[in-house]
Amino acid sequence: MSALEIVGQVLVVLGALVFVTAALGVVRFPDAYTRISAVGTAGGAGIVLVVVGALLLQPGVSAAVKVALIVALQLATSSVGTMAVARSAYLSGTPLRRTHYDDLDTGGAPR
Amino acid sequence: MTGIDVALALLVVACLASTYRMIAGPAEADRVVAADLLLFGMVGIIALVGVRTASAATFDIVLVASMIAFLGALSLARTLTRGNR
Repeated sequence: MSALEIVGQVLVVLGALVFVTAALGVVRFPDAYTRISAVGTAGGAGIVLVVVGALLLQPGVSAAVKVALIVALQLATSSVGTMAVARSAYLSGTPLRRTHYDDLDTGGAPR
Repeated sequence: MTGIDVALALLVVACLASTYRMIAGPAEADRVVAADLLLFGMVGIIALVGVRTASAATFDIVLVASMIAFLGALSLARTLTRGNR
């Protein structure tokens, strides 16, 4: 087993651990917004770690180009998707667990 | 290939946990979030299974699947607000 494979396997397991952490947050966190924040991390970092680890386990030039594309697009889009979900969750009136501070509350004025 | 097997098992656990939240989640937003995480977990599983079977099309499929995951998140977000922006 070469050093490249060992690094690849470590990266793959780390990415899977990021996913398990996000799943733990989705199951255990109290309201929808905290769960959204947990998923946002996994979508970016978890996919990037798993795919880069998979590249190190199956190296190649064309695979490296595709993985660079995947990493760039994933980092650009996952946070946008997560923010879109969080925004629609707030607009559709999903309750917050503790509402001491709600900076988005406009008091009935249109947003 | 032990690392890949461990990672696959962990991803399956994460997917099962998000499926539980999708079924149980009290608010609709919880189900949307769980669907998002399930999509990301499936993308990771596709990548690992492709490497494990030494498939040539692994990264093409992962590229398309991650873009579909983004589109799915956006359309679920739109559905959550009943079509309003």
